[in-house]
This record gives sequence, C-alpha cells and structure tokens, in this order.
Amino acid sequence: DEEESNTKPTFDFKSYMVQKAISVNQALDASVPLKEPAKIHESMRYSLLAGGKRVRPVLCLAACELVGGNESMAMPAACAVEMIHTMSLIHDDLPCMDNDDLRRGKPTNHIVYGESIAVLAGDALLAFAFEHIAVATPTNVHPSRIVRAIGELAKVIGGEGLVAGQVVDISSEGNSEVGLKELEFIHVHKTAKLLEGSVVLGAILGGGSDDEVERLRRYARDIGLLFQVVDDILDVTKSSQELGKTAGKDLVADKVTYPKLMGIEKSREFAEKLNEEAKEQLVGFDPVKAAPLIALANYIAYRQN
Amino acid sequence: SSASVSIESNTTQFDLQGYWTSLRKEINQNLDQAIPIQYPEKIYEAMRYSTLADGAKRAPPVMCVAACELFGVNRLAAFPTACALEMVHAASLIHDDLPCMDDAPSRRGQPSNHTIYGVDMAILAGDALFPLGFHHIVHNTPKDLVPERRLLRVVAEIARTVGSTGMAAGQFLDLNSSSSSSSISSAIEFIQEKKFGELAQCSAVCGGLLAGAEDEEVERLRRYGRAVGVLYQVVDDILKAKSGDGALKKERGGKSYVGVYGVDKAMEKAEELRDEAKKELGGFEKYGEAVLPLYGFVDYAADRGFSVG
Repeated sequence: DEEESNTKPTFDFKSYMVQKAISVNQALDASVPLKEPAKIHESMRYSLLAGGKRVRPVLCLAACELVGGNESMAMPAACAVEMIHTMSLIHDDLPCMDNDDLRRGKPTNHIVYGESIAVLAGDALLAFAFEHIAVATPTNVHPSRIVRAIGELAKVIGGEGLVAGQVVDISSEGNSEVGLKELEFIHVHKTAKLLEGSVVLGAILGGGSDDEVERLRRYARDIGLLFQVVDDILDVTKSSQELGKTAGKDLVADKVTYPKLMGIEKSREFAEKLNEEAKEQLVGFDPVKAAPLIALANYIAYRQN
Repeated sequence: SSASVSIESNTTQFDLQGYWTSLRKEINQNLDQAIPIQYPEKIYEAMRYSTLADGAKRAPPVMCVAACELFGVNRLAAFPTACALEMVHAASLIHDDLPCMDDAPSRRGQPSNHTIYGVDMAILAGDALFPLGFHHIVHNTPKDLVPERRLLRVVAEIARTVGSTGMAAGQFLDLNSSSSSSSISSAIEFIQEKKFGELAQCSAVCGGLLAGAEDEEVERLRRYGRAVGVLYQVVDDILKAKSGDGALKKERGGKSYVGVYGVDKAMEKAEELRDEAKKELGGFEKYGEAVLPLYGFVDYAADRGFSVG
C-alpha cells in the first residue's frame, strides 16, 4: 500500500509525545491553581504535576483528533483522566493499601503531606475531574456529548472500574488460588478501564459516531491489557537497574503475573496478539491521524522499561 | 410585605413531616436500587452499608426536591440528583470517619464503615460512591424534563461542593485548627459553613438548577441553603451542650459556635440564621404555597418540631 509506506516513516512518535505532553502539562498546571486552603492544593499539585509520560491524556487527545475533533475539545477531559489516574495512585500508595513510600522517584503524597491530606487531595482531584470537564470543555462541543463523556468517566473509575480492580487485587494478594480469570479482571479494571475511558472520552468529545467510539473502545481495551502483560514480562526478564524499580517485586509479594500463569513464551505471544487486535480496530480511519495511536500501541508492546 | 407574612404564617399548617416522610421513603427505595450488589461484592456491601444506613434523615435530597418543586417542575426531575447527593454525602462521611481523619468509631449509632469493612475498603467505598453519584445523575435524569446543559451545571455544583474549596476544605481546616489556638474563632465560621453549610446549599441550588431557575433565584437558594445548613448544625451543638452528656466535646473538640462562644451566643446566632434564611424565601413569594416546604425546613432546623428517620 503506497499511502501507508508514505505516511508511516514520516511520523515522529517521540516528538509527537513530547509536544503533546507539553500541552497537557501546561493545561494541568493551569487547571489546579493554588487556592485556599493552600496545603490541599499544594498536595494535589505535587502529585498531579510530578511528571510521567501522560499516556492517558495523549490517548484522549489523539482519539479526539482521529474522529475529526481538535485538541481543545478534549483537553479538559485529557486533564480529567490524568487527575483520576493521579488520585488513584495517591490512594493506592496509602499505608492501609499498598503502603508505598516512593512514586516516580519521589516520596509519595502521604509521606510529604500526611495521610489525612493525601486522602482529601485524592477526593478533591476525583471531584475536580468531573467539575473540570463540565465547566471547561469548549462550547463548540454539544452538551449531550459532554454529559455522555461524564457518564463514561464515572463508569470506568467506580465500582465497575478502577475501584473494582483494586478491591480484587487486594483480596487476591497472598492467595495462591488466583487464576487467569481473576488476573485479567484485575488488570482490565486497574489499568485498561482508565485507558479505555481516556480514548472513549476523546472520541465522544471529538464528535465520533457510535461505531467509531466502539471501535476505539476495543482498541483501548487491547492496549490496556497489553500494557499489563508487557509489564509482567519485563518484571521477570529485566534487572532492577534497567527498569528503574525493584524487579521481581511481584514475584516476591506473591502476586499473580502472566509469566507465572502461562510462561514467558505464551505471554509474549499473547502480547503480540493483543497488539495486532488493537491495530486492526484502526483500519479504515485516516492513516495520518491514526499514526499516533498505532505508534502508541507499538510503544506499549515494545517498550524496554 | 403582607403576602410574605401570610405565606409564612401558613408554615404551621404545612405538614412538613408528612412531606418529608413520604419523600424519604421514595429516596430510600431509589438508593436501594441504585447500588445493586455485584462482583466484587465486598465493595458494594461497604457502599450500601453507609448509603442505606437506617438513621439517615435524607435532608439534602428532600431539600433538593423541594427547591425543584418550588418552580413547578415535576419532582422526578430531581430524584436522581437527590440520590446522588446522598451518595457523595455518604462518601465524605466515610472518609471523615477514617482513623487518619476524625477517627470516629461510630456514625448514626452504627459502627463506622472502616470498623466493619477495614480502612482500605472504606477508602475505596468512598472513591466508588463519588463517581456513582455522577453516573446516577447523567443516566437517570429524565431527558424530557431536564436539558443536558442544566445537568452540566448540576455536576459542576456537586463536584465543587465536595471538592478542595468545599467540604474537603472544611474537613482539612477542622483537622488542622486546634481548639486552643487563638485563631479558632475566626476559623470556626468558615469550618461550620464548609462542613455543614455546603451540602444544604448545594442541595437547594441543584433543585433550582434542575428546574431551570434564573441565576438570581439560584443565588437566593444558595444563601438560603447555606443559612439552613449552618443553623441545623449550630442548633445540634446547642442541644448536645444542653443535654450535658459530653458528646459534643468529644466529637467536635470544642470546635463549634457553642464551644467557642458559649450556649447563649450560639442561640443568638441561631436566631440570626433563621431570619436570614426566611428573608431569602421572601423573594419567592410569587410561587405561592410551593415555597412552604422551604419555610418548613428553616423552622425544623431551629426547633426540631418532630423527628425523622
């Protein structure tokens, strides 16, 4: 296919990610100003602006642009999914949950601000995500699309989404009976649901048809699961130094992983299958606009840390 | 004016208890259906335990419905938002009770959520109830009664209410102001308003927004709701102080009007708030008797003429 061979090499994934992350970081910085009480807002900003690749917001923006929208239509939603991601990390790191002291190389929120503020900052980010979409989405997006996006976001983070994943994860720890079904439930809900939400919100706000939204939903589910399978593989094949975190921690903590359940080779095949499936969903879209999403799937599949 | 006096004098004839009791039953049924138990069951049980607690009066939802009906709009327009107010209310109470916060072993006469389900589940139950509230609004509000533009304002209002400048700010200041501090008297008003005035304010405002009230009317409902919410809490503290069981001191650590100014001053404050709330309702006289439930709430908050729940 001549068109494909022309567009593929010209797409510079690295500079695309850098550009998008800059826009997202500026928008995030502006979205949570230092109001009173300053401590809560400092705590919110500390975790929200801690860096990271901003994969979720970029997916949201790319999906919006794929269906014909422009970046500004989905920027408040892109910030909102990052706020939700951040709040779930703040709460997951708490002593009564995973009890983590470090996150992205920095002390976790409750280590710096104390547990009570960490709980409140998480709650405030959760609430603010919804307020931000409702208030800051530009008026050229029809209110029915904004309302639908809010409903989608609410669904992927609550008892049928992120929270469900964390609950099953907590109760499966140290339980040797956990099988592939539970493992998939945990990853789909802890990781894939919010990635799905990011893509679907972007597609809805960008004006995508129902069919386009559903295809992008399937794309997102595949790359969400792919992300976790690759994470599990890297954990057993790479050293701590290469990963920048404690390798094999999941094995030590007696957590179930794909390599443990199906072996390294089968896990790699599964990852390959998910990547193929994800990219199949993008066939038929404008190849130039689909390039970032194809590259993101490849990035998730072939990353080394 | 004479009209407002005559409407106000009717409040003694309005059966707020009957209005409240029947609405409360409907709200409870709606909430019961809104949180079905599914996998993973434990989290849904924790969510239901606090949201469906027996002693809940359902004051925020009833005020929301009454504010919507004030403008002649069907109460069905307000039910999903009314239920959402209870969900986000339950979420913030669950988190307020945590050991790292108020460390409260009980709530509404029952063991607090974390005492039964553990601290991790209590945090997650709250984290799930906030979004469930928003989900409930956007999926269940009848589209023919409420345009989407209004729903966006309702979502934003509720989110701001529970967020970093609303109830979370009140909880933060409550935790971080010691009763011995000299600045307590200046902070106390803020804490009272944020912790106890915000939700009543939000409930009244959302009812108005759903009904398509004018901006000026919505702001009037905002001031009314705030006054009623703070009034309710000030009177609650007075009653506890008078009963002399020490419950107030234990619960609030002296961080209340009563704790700072004493019972007499708190009673004066209560009268001021009652007048303030009723003054706002004077602006709704054109809606006739539909305003009576809102007058009834003011007197209930001040006098506790009957019991609910």
